Amino acid sequence: MNVPIPPLGASSNAALLTFTVYTLAVLGIAWLSSYLRRGKKFVSEYFLGSRSLGVWAFALTFAATSASGGSFTGFPSKIYSHGWILGLWIGSYIVVPICAMGLLGKRLNHVARKSGAITVPDVIRDRFESPQFGLLAVLLIVFFMSFNLVAQFKAGSLILRTLLEDSVLFDQTSVWFGNAVGALGLANLTQFQGPEYLLCLIAFGIAVIIYTTYGGFHAVVWTDVMQGLVMVVGVLIMLPLAINQSGGLENATREMAKMTPPVPVRAAIAPEEGAELTLSGGTWLALPETGDVERLFRVHTTATIDDSSREVELLELTAAGDIQRVLEHNPADAVRRDVSFTIVESSPYAYGDGKQGVYVSGPGPSLKEASGFLPLSLAVSFFFMWAISGAGQPSSMVRLMAFRDTPTLRRAIFTVAIYYSLIYFPLVIIFCCARVVLPGMDLESDRIMPAMAVHLTDTINAGWLAGILVAAPFAAVMSTVDSFLLMISSAIVRDVYQRNLNPKATEASIKKLSYLVTLVVGSAAMCGAINPPQFLQDIIVYTGSGLAACFLAPMIYALYWPRSTQFGCMASMLFGFGAHLSMYVAGIFQNNSFFSPYQLLNLDPILIGLFASFVFGWIATVLGPQPDEQLVQKYFYRSKTQDAPAAS
Amino acid sequence: MSKDAPLAKTGDLEFDPVFLNARREAIVIFLIWLAGLLWCVPCCYLLGFKENYNPETMKTILGVPSWLFWGIALPWVVADVLTVFVAFFYMRDEHLDVVEGEQE
Repeated sequence: MNVPIPPLGASSNAALLTFTVYTLAVLGIAWLSSYLRRGKKFVSEYFLGSRSLGVWAFALTFAATSASGGSFTGFPSKIYSHGWILGLWIGSYIVVPICAMGLLGKRLNHVARKSGAITVPDVIRDRFESPQFGLLAVLLIVFFMSFNLVAQFKAGSLILRTLLEDSVLFDQTSVWFGNAVGALGLANLTQFQGPEYLLCLIAFGIAVIIYTTYGGFHAVVWTDVMQGLVMVVGVLIMLPLAINQSGGLENATREMAKMTPPVPVRAAIAPEEGAELTLSGGTWLALPETGDVERLFRVHTTATIDDSSREVELLELTAAGDIQRVLEHNPADAVRRDVSFTIVESSPYAYGDGKQGVYVSGPGPSLKEASGFLPLSLAVSFFFMWAISGAGQPSSMVRLMAFRDTPTLRRAIFTVAIYYSLIYFPLVIIFCCARVVLPGMDLESDRIMPAMAVHLTDTINAGWLAGILVAAPFAAVMSTVDSFLLMISSAIVRDVYQRNLNPKATEASIKKLSYLVTLVVGSAAMCGAINPPQFLQDIIVYTGSGLAACFLAPMIYALYWPRSTQFGCMASMLFGFGAHLSMYVAGIFQNNSFFSPYQLLNLDPILIGLFASFVFGWIATVLGPQPDEQLVQKYFYRSKTQDAPAAS
Repeated sequence: MSKDAPLAKTGDLEFDPVFLNARREAIVIFLIWLAGLLWCVPCCYLLGFKENYNPETMKTILGVPSWLFWGIALPWVVADVLTVFVAFFYMRDEHLDVVEGEQE
């Protein structure tokens, strides 16, 4: 073993086993769900679980859907790269459960029941008796969610590939698979990302598409429950191990305080007589320095050095503590001192280079941003992002329409609050400890979650446990993908076909169409991910914040403001969409990239979008026509004589 | 948002209590979010954003940097307590209609 990060080999077989068991379990759930569905109204059962979710199902499906793959790959990677400041980055999770479920939950469920609405566009359409508003909502949902779905498929495949990449069985299978694809004359399918990626995409995609198509909403919810439990168990197992490995949390924080950010460098290897030299990723190279201190470099990706190419990307550790830990935890021969090289170019951190204390204070070190990772204005933006924009996600809203009764809602809010408390702050702690336990992974921080899982379980000789820990990220992606898939197909089947094109469609034909559309949408997204877009995380951020900018304000007005009208709420939706989009388009002109949006007043586009949506929606409503009295009476009033029975 | 509907109220209609309760609860929840924003962000900013942070004099509480403890960890506990209060003692239970044919 020549690297401090153990090869994932043994535990990757565990990961492969976990993935297989997992897939079988979700397929079983889908079968059960479809079995139990017999005899119920198809559309409301398939897309909304007949509004019958109890506490556990409701709480965990809500939590698992909003915790996308990002929580277990992007988030740990950010913690590792920027340190304790991530505590503030996710700060608003302290109120996410109560905001995301409590702001709209009771009233949305109530209004949806009044009209029998099954989807979010349904609610909007019925509330204003406006087919065109309903179709606008469908259009926006399909637009944003299709992009997001492709990105999530890619995320799922990448996670799976990371988990399995050192498993021998997986390697053999993907070689065979690559040849098979080539033999079929489809070799160009593997040229984008290689056969491993394609194999993972197909395995992941087919599993998700089958169980979502076959099982519908209930299957999605039950698998969410299972996935949600896997996530929290994974975190709670890792937490004590990580603290223990880093010598206690106090020690970890003290060590982090002394750290200075590493420096990515390009180095030229000095010529060696005729010989070819292969440096595998993760190898440590030492460069003698005057005195007894050595400079220590880590090879980023495997590189072959020959006459045609002498350069290699390295990461130089700059903190004495990190260097010492690497030397202590590796056998003497694991660090190569026989390779001589000179540094061609170094690209130090834009914020934090050479400074101690940046990992334990704000705004956190940043490789690219001179103002640091999280300056004040972004900290404010993120407080809106998670809590407020979380409330504005249509995928959350549809879950709010599915709980059985108000005691369920109240208990679920409590359950999710505990659940998030057990996941998010502990994740910050675990991956701060990872900085101390596994130094030098800054350039490959996307792998920190599986690397940490494997390292921690190896220390207690329980490699099999890693299989369960690494299941958490793909559980998170799966639970997001399945619900988005169902959102898109419900929008098409229910809101476009059943309500506009063919209101008299029979149940049997709706059923066939639902299966077909779910299957086609899922397969299309999977094909879109064969040559996936770059900027994975950026797409997820753009679509998530865009949906909130479009849906939150109109929904709040429609539910809580009797004066609201179709005119005002459509204006609100369109202005939200336009303002948010224009920040991204302005980014093309200012930063030459759609995905580095213009930050008006240093704020994230989500704030601009929400602001425009609320303000212009309000103005349009007040200046626009009066609402229809019949609708106001239906949704806001009841007759005095009618005494509602007390809730059970 | 609290403007009443421009509705000629006929004597036998009243606001649906589910609507009134839900709106009141939503306002309280929004205020909790606002309180969270006003506590967490300024607290972390004032205590934790330092140009030159001296690792020797850094304060920690339970192993967490003290600014993060006061700015996030403590309000996290407070927010959970408030969530319990709202969920179990403040939110009312309501009668929600059953949509025909959906639940057994």
